Amino acid sequence: MRIKDYLEHINNALRRFEDGLIVLMVLSMVLLAAGQIVLRNVFGGGLVWVDPFLRVMVLWLGLLGAMVATRHNNHITVDVLSRFLSAKIKYFIRIITGLFASVICAILAWHGARFMLAEYTAATEVFTGVPTWCCVLIIPVGFVVMSVRFFVHTFKPGAVQT
Amino acid sequence: MSVVISLLLLGLALLGTPLFIVIAASALLGFYSSDIDLSVVLIEFYRLAEMPILLAIPLFTLAGYLLSESKAPQRLVNLSNALLGWMPGGLAVVSLAICAIFTAFTGASGVTIIALGALLYPALTQAGYGQRFSLGLVTTSGSLGLLFAPSLPLILYGVIVQQLGVGSSLTVDDLFLAGALPGLLMVLALSAWSMWTNRGLSREQSDISIAAALRAAIWELPLPFIVLGGIYSGYFAVSEAAAVTALYVLVVEVLIHREIKLGDLSRIIRESMVLVGGILIILGVSLASTNYLIDAEVPVRLFDIMHAYIQDPLFFLLLLNVFLLLLGMMLDIFSALVIMVPLLLPVALGYGIDPLHLGIIFLANMQLGYLTPPVGMNLFIASYRFKVPVMQIYRSTLPFFFILLLTVLVITYWPGLSLYLPGLFATW
Repeated sequence: MRIKDYLEHINNALRRFEDGLIVLMVLSMVLLAAGQIVLRNVFGGGLVWVDPFLRVMVLWLGLLGAMVATRHNNHITVDVLSRFLSAKIKYFIRIITGLFASVICAILAWHGARFMLAEYTAATEVFTGVPTWCCVLIIPVGFVVMSVRFFVHTFKPGAVQT
Repeated sequence: MSVVISLLLLGLALLGTPLFIVIAASALLGFYSSDIDLSVVLIEFYRLAEMPILLAIPLFTLAGYLLSESKAPQRLVNLSNALLGWMPGGLAVVSLAICAIFTAFTGASGVTIIALGALLYPALTQAGYGQRFSLGLVTTSGSLGLLFAPSLPLILYGVIVQQLGVGSSLTVDDLFLAGALPGLLMVLALSAWSMWTNRGLSREQSDISIAAALRAAIWELPLPFIVLGGIYSGYFAVSEAAAVTALYVLVVEVLIHREIKLGDLSRIIRESMVLVGGILIILGVSLASTNYLIDAEVPVRLFDIMHAYIQDPLFFLLLLNVFLLLLGMMLDIFSALVIMVPLLLPVALGYGIDPLHLGIIFLANMQLGYLTPPVGMNLFIASYRFKVPVMQIYRSTLPFFFILLLTVLVITYWPGLSLYLPGLFATW
C-alpha cells in the first residue's frame, strides 16, 4: 500500500510539472516570437539566441504534448476496427497494442539517451552557452514517461488519467 | 520476411496502436535490418528542433483553441447573419463561410463540428431549415476550409515537401495561394446548392443590426487581415504571422473580452498542446522512416512498378482520387500527410504533376474522405455530437458529399485552378 501511495504521489507531481512547463513554454513562446518581430522591425535586428531557443521549444512542446496525450490515451490512431469488436476481444487487443507501444517507446528512449550521451561527450552547443545535450534531454525523458504510461495503461486503464 | 512484418505492423495500426508507434517501429526495423545504428531514428527526430516553420504549428493551434473557447464564434455568426441573413438560404451560406474560416484556423476538422455545431445546428433548425439539411450541412462544414490559409495541413504538406528536397522551390506561402481558389470553389458550390434547395424558405430577419454586430466583433475583425494580409504582402513569414495571431488572440480573448478566465487558460493551452504533440511526434518519427524509405529507394521503385501499368497521367490522377478517398476515410489528415506524401510525391512528379497541385488534390480528397460512408471520421463525430444515429448522418450528408465529389474532380483535372494564383504572384 505504501509503495502505491508513493507512486501515485510521483505521478501527480509529474503531471503538475508537465502541465506547468507546457503553460510556461507556450506563453514564453508567444511573447518571445512576437517580441522578436518587434525587435527586428523597430530596432533592425532580433536577439541571436531567440530563434534557436524557439525551435528547441517546438521539440519540447511536441514531446510534452505527446506525454500528456499518453496520459489520456489521446494519440492519433486509425481506429477503424474497434467499433465492430466485442468488449472481450477489445480487452486483449488493448493489452497487445499497449505492450507494443510501451516496448517501442522504451527502445526510442534508450537510443535517445545514447544520442544525448554522444552530444554530451562531443560537447556541442546549440547556441553559445547552451549545450546540445540539454536540448536533447526531453527525448529520452519523454519516451521513458510515455513507455511507463503505456505500460500502466495496459493493465489499469484510467490509472494514469485526469 | 519483411512482408510479414509489414502486415503485422499494419494489423497493429488497424487495431488501434498509436500511429507514431507503428511508424517508429517500421523505422527502427528498417534501420536495424540495414545494420545502421538505431540512434539515427532519434537524431532524425531531433530535426523537429531545426525547422523554423514548425513554430507556426503550436502558435496557430493555440490561437484556434482560444477562439473556439471564447464567444468569438457567436459574434462571428451574429455579424455574418446581419450581413447575409437577408439572402435566400442566407444562414446556410453563413454557416459554410464561418466553418471554413474556423477550420482554416484550427486545422483539425473535428474541432469545428464540436465548437460550431452546437451553435449552428439549433440556429439552422430554428430558422426553418430541415433537420436533415441542417445536419448534413453542419457535418460537411466540419472539414471545409482545409484549403485556406493558415490551415495546419497546408503548412504540414509544405514542410514535408521541403524535407524531401524535390520540388524544392515550393514554399508554404505558395501553398496558401494555391489553396484559395479551389477552397472557394467548394464553398461556392455548397452555398449555391444550399440557396437552391432552400429557395422556398421565408427569409429570416436578423434581430441584430449590422452596426451592433460590427461593434461586437470589432476586435476579431482585424484577424484575417493580420494573417492573410501579413503573409500575402510578404510582410510576415508564416511563423511570424502565427506569433502575431497567437498574441493578438490571447490579448483580445483573455484581457479585453475576458471570456477566457485565467484558470481556464492553462487547461486550454494544455489541450491545444495535446493536439500539437500528437502531430509533431508523428512528424518526428516519420522524418526517420521517410529517410529510410528514400535510402531504400522505395518511391523510385514504386514509380517504376506503377509506370509499367499506367502511362496516362489522367488515369493516374483518377486512381489517386480513389486511393486518397479511401485513405481519408481511415486516416486523419496529419498522419495521412506524413505517411503518404513521401511516397506519392516522387511518383506524382514522375507523371508530371506539379507539387503544389498534388498538395491541393491531396487535401481536397482527404476533406472528402472525412465524409465518406461508412467510416469517414466526421460522420462519427457528428453522430456523437448531435446524438443522432450514424445512419441518419449518412443520409443527411449524401447530397453534400456528391457536390464536394464534383468539386474534387474539378480540382483534380483542372490544375490551373490551383496554379493560377501562385503563378500570378511569382511574376509579380
